[in-house]
Amino acid sequence: MPRRAAAKGELGRPNEPSILILTSLADEPKHGYALTKDIETFAGVTLGPGTLYGAIARLEERGLIEPTPTGDDERRRPYRITASGRQALTAAIADMRTLAEEGALRLGLRARALAFTTTNTGQTA
Amino acid sequence: MTASTTGPQRFEPMLRWYPPAWRDRYGGEMAALLEDTHGSGRVPLAQRLALAKAGAAERARAAGIIGNSTGNYERVRAGSHLILCAWALFMIGGAIFVKYSEHWDAAVPRAHQWRPNDGYLTVQIAGFVGVALVAFAALVVLPALVRHIRQHGTATIRRPIRRALIAGALAVGLTAGVAVWAHHLTGHARNGGLWPYTIVGGVLGLSVIAAIATSTAAAIQVTRQLDVSPRVMRFLGSMALVLSLMMLAVVTGTVVWWQAVAQYSPQFLGSGRVIGFSNVMPAPLMGATALMCIGLVLAGSGSVRMARQLGGDLTRT
Repeated sequence: MPRRAAAKGELGRPNEPSILILTSLADEPKHGYALTKDIETFAGVTLGPGTLYGAIARLEERGLIEPTPTGDDERRRPYRITASGRQALTAAIADMRTLAEEGALRLGLRARALAFTTTNTGQTA
Repeated sequence: MTASTTGPQRFEPMLRWYPPAWRDRYGGEMAALLEDTHGSGRVPLAQRLALAKAGAAERARAAGIIGNSTGNYERVRAGSHLILCAWALFMIGGAIFVKYSEHWDAAVPRAHQWRPNDGYLTVQIAGFVGVALVAFAALVVLPALVRHIRQHGTATIRRPIRRALIAGALAVGLTAGVAVWAHHLTGHARNGGLWPYTIVGGVLGLSVIAAIATSTAAAIQVTRQLDVSPRVMRFLGSMALVLSLMMLAVVTGTVVWWQAVAQYSPQFLGSGRVIGFSNVMPAPLMGATALMCIGLVLAGSGSVRMARQLGGDLTRT
């Protein structure tokens, strides 16, 4: 299960294992351990082996990731994102962005962010 | 320490929760991940438990009980198996109920017997129909079993069947022995007055539970390998749905009988009461009803999962 030390009052992050794995593989192929460490670094989430390989199996089944040809070590097989995987991740990010922008707008954070950008750069985003 | 406890093999027992096909594909990679994460150190208990949970979920997914990775055919079969497991719980709960409710009609005044009688009769009829449905389902899959044996031999089905036959023979043998012994005992001795008889009675109960459990497991393990036509699968699924309805009838009948006996003859339920509960809630009856309720939940989830697929295309994927 995804583990993360959430601060009091936090609602959590979009820590769906499949999105985390696709995000991690977006730049380069990685094997299980490298995936775990990368996800820990950029999302602060520790995926257990059961959760990680459960999600990998589901992603592979849907053709969103694929194993790369193995080298010397078959037990440390790197996975890479497929074209369908990139498409799915792009769609998921667009959804999250829409939600984030709507939330920011309703909380008045977007106006403040825009004001901050204007003050610092002299132009609006 | 031996090599097996220090090498990657030491992670193998933790991966046994996963189905064999899954282990063949991902087992080595998972062992490598555990090795990279924990080295030669101990894998924390929480992570072992998480692996057990994830492995059990993968097994349920592979069997078609959860998830969408299997086709309609596999889901109908998984739903039927879930209902069969529920029926096994009902057989155990029903056996406890039948034993406990023996001679209830002697305790309830004749003028008030109609309601408990209706409940009891409902349990009997639904139980009989349930047993007949399971027996008929066994007959329906018999040709597929014969075909399987002709094509593949008995190697893959021998073990569960042998286990079920041994457990069944033990239960039948013990029942016959206890029946003969009971014939020579007084009523007092049969009802807790003779401790060896009480112990043997307990062993008999456990052997019956073992026989039901092993025969259900054998039925599932064997039928999972059989290749039945979509038409037969649809028919079996429909029979499983009727079996679920029979379970609902058994629970309803039990509750009606219990409520009526508690009202008209509470002293009959007074024995074996649980501390803290009223004397109309005896432990055996509560245990039997709890088993039936768990069974009903299982049967309900199996029925819901299956009913959605029964009308669809059942071509095997």
